[in-house]
Amino acid sequence: MPAFAERFADASRHKLRSVQEYFSLAGKALRFAFVRPFYAQDLIQQMDEIGVKSLGIVLLTGFFTGMVLALQSSVQMAQFGATMYIGRLVTGSMIRELGPVLAGLMVAGRVGSGIAAQLGSMRVTEQIDALNTLGTDPIKKLVTPRVLAALIMLPVLTVINDVVGIIGGNLISTLMVGVPSGVYWRTVWEQIASGGFTFRVIPNDFIQGLIKPFVFGGIISITACYFGINTTGGTEGVGQSTTRTVVLSSILILVVDYFLTQILLSVLAV
Amino acid sequence: MSDDQRDAGSPPPTPSKGVRPAGPPSTGEDDARSAERRQEGRRSSERRPTTIRRAIRDELADDTTDEYYAETHPQEHRVTPVIEVDHVYLGFDRPILEDVSLEARKGETICLVGESGTGKSTMLKLILRLLIPDRGAVCIHGEDITDLTFEEALEARQHMGMVFQSAALFDSMTVFENVAYPLREHTKLDDDEIEERVREKLAFVDLDPDQVMSQLPSQLSGGMRKRVGIARGMANNPEIMLYDEPTSGLDPLSTGTITRLIMKLQRELDVTSVVVSHDIRSVFRMATRVAVLNERRIVFFGSPEEMAATDDKYLRDFLGGS
Repeated sequence: MPAFAERFADASRHKLRSVQEYFSLAGKALRFAFVRPFYAQDLIQQMDEIGVKSLGIVLLTGFFTGMVLALQSSVQMAQFGATMYIGRLVTGSMIRELGPVLAGLMVAGRVGSGIAAQLGSMRVTEQIDALNTLGTDPIKKLVTPRVLAALIMLPVLTVINDVVGIIGGNLISTLMVGVPSGVYWRTVWEQIASGGFTFRVIPNDFIQGLIKPFVFGGIISITACYFGINTTGGTEGVGQSTTRTVVLSSILILVVDYFLTQILLSVLAV
Repeated sequence: MSDDQRDAGSPPPTPSKGVRPAGPPSTGEDDARSAERRQEGRRSSERRPTTIRRAIRDELADDTTDEYYAETHPQEHRVTPVIEVDHVYLGFDRPILEDVSLEARKGETICLVGESGTGKSTMLKLILRLLIPDRGAVCIHGEDITDLTFEEALEARQHMGMVFQSAALFDSMTVFENVAYPLREHTKLDDDEIEERVREKLAFVDLDPDQVMSQLPSQLSGGMRKRVGIARGMANNPEIMLYDEPTSGLDPLSTGTITRLIMKLQRELDVTSVVVSHDIRSVFRMATRVAVLNERRIVFFGSPEEMAATDDKYLRDFLGGS
């Protein structure tokens, strides 16, 4: 076999092994959620780290995204005399797409990098080996609480992101475009209701807007933990793991978002 | 040791246990034995006059590790290995260990020495069953641990303590939480009992519990971190202690303290220890037997006296040049 083909085969094998390890880690992390001992305190601590401490950045991005959406759409919609529908546009965009994706990207940058750096440092300073030698499974102790916390907290952050985004849109449409606040909120509800309901009470838009951050939470936490616990090469390796986590998580969020939207649109028929 | 015997570069004598001070109080029998050893060492030294070898000889003359071991361990204990590494082969992309055999009997301190990258730390990982050999067996109390499941291996590790080169303390936890960690994980002790045990272990490693318990690892010196690492390793009262270069990066005084602690563990708690070290002086003070790894194999396994008296060129070079 020529040398380049051999190198290609080696690289492919290596990549495939990495993918296998990635999914194996995800499987173990989720399985350990149902196996004793449960690290409840670690879970609460991670929920605080991932959720509460990300609140500021999510509030800020959500609010300004809602405002800019209202501003941009007002210019376009004014040409058709449809500025009263700004609420619909802001709500649809925030709940279905921008809320989950922006919250995901923000958390990937803030929390994903933090998890990768923390676990990477623990790896290079032998703390993960120490856990192993003290009879603790590092995946159960370190990965499972982080994955569970991300799965729980990212949908919560997304809902908050959606709400402040819609409020931001209301502010701009009322103060700068001149759409009465009552009209704005009526169109917001029309948008939510237009997607239909599951079990007659749960708006389909909400389902779509909550499944996505749930998946993104898994992507961010597992990617960060995978790169973190497989860190090699000292402090430089920690830096590389952090960068890889943010890049891969962001790409995966955007790619998975497209396919998830396709699937959800066909399943929910909205 | 007379001044004319000491090279200019040799360390000055100190009142520590490492180098015999002038006129120590001792029994006649001790003196006779020490004189015999010194005589033996002198003959060896005449053949290979090196500074380190003389230092080693003095360590041996002053220490009583082997005598103590013989007195405290009856014959039946001495023949039963607690740790047995049997014809082990291990390799990843390239071979790392080939046909390596080693045993440690109850209460023994086995020191593993060798050049960097020869597989010393890998040996510890095999004993901890963090790695599984390609061929051969690793037995603890006669039971082969290579066939254990992951969960069984986790349980087996609870009977071993490990001290890492970097101490590997959990930096987000206080000293108390670090030492209490294995107790909270694997025992049903209540909070008072855990605190009592933590205090006991910290006092054993010569740390003041009231002073250090609430501190974070980053607030401690390197030597103190290593001592907390030992306290954490022994928190569960393990039968086996493993040390990965416990004295690396420490000043001579801290090195002496850690070495004395390892010997104290052996003497007072009868712990079986395997120590990976580059510090030959410490090795000769604490080892009951020394294993030398070179090019993936154990090239020497015997007592420190046998090692000091060897004519093997590699070992002579390793001990300080010929």
